[in-house]
Amino acid sequence: MRVLLIEDDLHTAGFIAKGLREDGHAVDQADNGKDGLFLATTEPYDALVLDRMLPGLDGLTLLQTLRGAGNRTPVLLLTALGEVDHRVEGLRAGADDYLVKPFAYAELSARLDSIARRGSAGGSEPTRLRVADLELDLLSREARRSGKRIELQPREFRLLEYLMRQAERVVTRTMLLEAVWDYHFDPQTNVIDVHISRLRQKIDQGYPKPLLHTVRGAGYRLGA
Amino acid sequence: MSPAPRSASARLALAVTASFLLAFVLLGVGVHYAVSALLDGDAREVVRADAAGLVELYREGGRAALADELRERGAQDDTDAVYALFDAQGRTLAGHYEDALPRGGRSPHWIAFAQHQGDERLRVVAQLLHLPGGETLLTGVRLRSQDRFLALMLRTALAALLVAATLGAAIGWLTSRWVSRRLRHLDDTAARVGEGELALRVPLDGSDDAFDRLARRFNGMLDRIEDLLGGVRHATDHIAHDLRTPLTRLRNRLEELRERPSGQSRDAELDAAIAETDQLLQSFGALLRLARIEAQAPAIQAPRLDLAALARDAADLYTPSAAERGIVLLTELAPGWVQGDADQLFQLLVNLLDNALKYAPADSAVQLRVHGESTGVLLQVDDRGPGIPEAERERMFDRFQRMEAHRGSPGTGLGLSLVRAIVQRHGGRISLGDNGPGLRVRVVLPAA
Repeated sequence: MRVLLIEDDLHTAGFIAKGLREDGHAVDQADNGKDGLFLATTEPYDALVLDRMLPGLDGLTLLQTLRGAGNRTPVLLLTALGEVDHRVEGLRAGADDYLVKPFAYAELSARLDSIARRGSAGGSEPTRLRVADLELDLLSREARRSGKRIELQPREFRLLEYLMRQAERVVTRTMLLEAVWDYHFDPQTNVIDVHISRLRQKIDQGYPKPLLHTVRGAGYRLGA
Repeated sequence: MSPAPRSASARLALAVTASFLLAFVLLGVGVHYAVSALLDGDAREVVRADAAGLVELYREGGRAALADELRERGAQDDTDAVYALFDAQGRTLAGHYEDALPRGGRSPHWIAFAQHQGDERLRVVAQLLHLPGGETLLTGVRLRSQDRFLALMLRTALAALLVAATLGAAIGWLTSRWVSRRLRHLDDTAARVGEGELALRVPLDGSDDAFDRLARRFNGMLDRIEDLLGGVRHATDHIAHDLRTPLTRLRNRLEELRERPSGQSRDAELDAAIAETDQLLQSFGALLRLARIEAQAPAIQAPRLDLAALARDAADLYTPSAAERGIVLLTELAPGWVQGDADQLFQLLVNLLDNALKYAPADSAVQLRVHGESTGVLLQVDDRGPGIPEAERERMFDRFQRMEAHRGSPGTGLGLSLVRAIVQRHGGRISLGDNGPGLRVRVVLPAA
C-alpha cells in the first residue's frame, strides 16, 4: 500500500513511518500542510495519515480542499484533541477515521488497514460473509461453521460481523468497542476480552483450526 | 481610573441638576400665576366696594356731590386710587384720568391700562360704571404694592434658583467624584490581580450598598479563582507523584534490560515494559479526558437520551465479565430521560460498573438501577464489596485517590474523579453510601 504521512512532529513522523515500512507499505512524508496537499493531489495514494494541526496549512483545511477537489483517498486524522465535537468536526470534513494522540502504533496500523480496505471495497453490500468454513448470513442473521448452525446473541452477531468484515486484519479493542457498542469511551479493563473469548468458544471450539486469533499487544484477527 | 464611570456619573449629576431646575421653573411659574390671580381678585374687590360707595353718594347728592367728592379724593397724593367722571359726550367732569374714555361696552365693565409716574410704570385695573344720568364713573386702583410683591417674589425665586443650581452642580460633582473613588478600589484591585497579585481583595466598608455588594461579589470571584488554582496545583502535584512511580519503574526495567543478554526472559521483560507504558498512556488519556470534561460548558444544549438504554448497553457489555467471576449483574431499568452526551454518560456507567465488579466478592450480586421521575433521574449501583468507610468517601473523588488496600490492583485511580466530573457537567449530584455491606453509589441527574 502506498501511504502519505503528513505530520510535523519529527519524532512521531519517524515512528509512524518506520512502523508503516515494517508493515510493508511505501511511505511518503510531508512535514507541513502545503507540501502535503501538493503530494496528495499530484501522486496516487492508497491512504493518507494526516495530522490535524500543521504549520503552513491546517490539517482540516487540507482535508476539505482535498475532498472539495473530488479526491476520495481514505484519510486517517491524527489529533491531540479528543473531544466528541472535534471528532465529529473531523469526520464531517471528510476524514474516514480519527485517532487521538497518544496512541499505540498497533491502533494506527489497524485503523489504517480498515479504512484503506473500506475505500477499495466499493460495490454493493454483501448479504453473506465468509471466512474459511465460517459463514454469516446477514439477512437471516444466521452463523454457520462447516454447515453447522451456531447460536449467537445479537451483540455476538454484531461482533462477529465486524470481525468478518475486517477478516485477516488486526482490529483493536477500541475499534471493536466503537463498532459494536457504538460509544466512544475509555474501557477501564479489557472488558471486551471476555466477549471475544465467549465468541471464540462458540465458533472455534470443536474445530481443529481456530479462526479467531489474539494478536499480542494489538488486538484480534479473524482469519484462517 | 478609567474615564468611563466618571463621565457616566457626571452625566447623571448633570441630568439630575437639569431636571431639578426644570421642576423649579415650572413650580415658580405656577406659583406666580396663582399669586397674581389672587392679588388681582383682591384689587377688584376693593374697586367694587369703592365704586358702590360712590354710586350711593351719586344717588343721594347727584352729579355735583360726586364730582366734588372725586376732586377732593384726587387731591390726596398718597392714595393709589384712580377716579374719573365723564358726561354722556365723553368729556371729563372730574378726576385724574386724562385719556379719552374707552368707548362701548356693558356696564359694569373692567379695563386695565398703564400710568407713568416718574420712572415708574404703574398698572391700573379699573371699573367703568354707567350712571343713571348718562355719566360714566371710572373707579380704579394702581397695582403698585401688588407689583412690588410680585417683583420681590421673582427676585427671591431667581436667587433661590441660582443657589439651587450651584448646589446641584456641587452635589453632582461630589457624587461623581465619590462614585469614581468607590470604583477606584475595585479598578485598582482588578488591575493588580490581573498582574498576578491573586491574594489581593477589595476593601469592604460594611455599608452593604451596591458598591459594597459588587466588591463582595468580586472578592468571591477571586476566592473561587484562587481555589481553582489551588486545586490545579494540588492535582499537578498528585499527577507528578503518581506518574513518577510507574515512570521510574519503567526506567529501571529498561536499564536492567540493557544489561541482559537477549532471550526468553528479555522478551517477557520487554512485554512488561510495554504494558507499563500502556498503563501510563491510559493514565494520561484519562487525565486529559478529565481536564476536558471539567473545562466543558454545562450540557444544557445536549440532546435528550434515555439513561436506561445506556445502562442496558453497559450491562450488556459487563455481564460476561461479571459472570466469569460468578457475579450476577441485576438490572432494574425504568426509562429515565436526561439531556447529555451519550459517550460521557456511557463512560460514567462503565466506570461505576467496573468499580463495583472489581470490588464485589465472587458469587455476589451487583445491582444497577435507573429510575426516572419528574424531578430527576436516579442511577444507582450497589455492590456487596467491602464498601468505603464514611470518613474516606469524599476523598475518593480526588485524582489518583485510591483505597490503600487496593493500591496494587489495576486502574488509574481516576475513575471516580471522571465520574464526578461527568455528573457535575450534567448538573447532577453523586453520593457514596452504605449498602450494608458494600458500596451504594447514587447519581441523580436532572430530568429532561
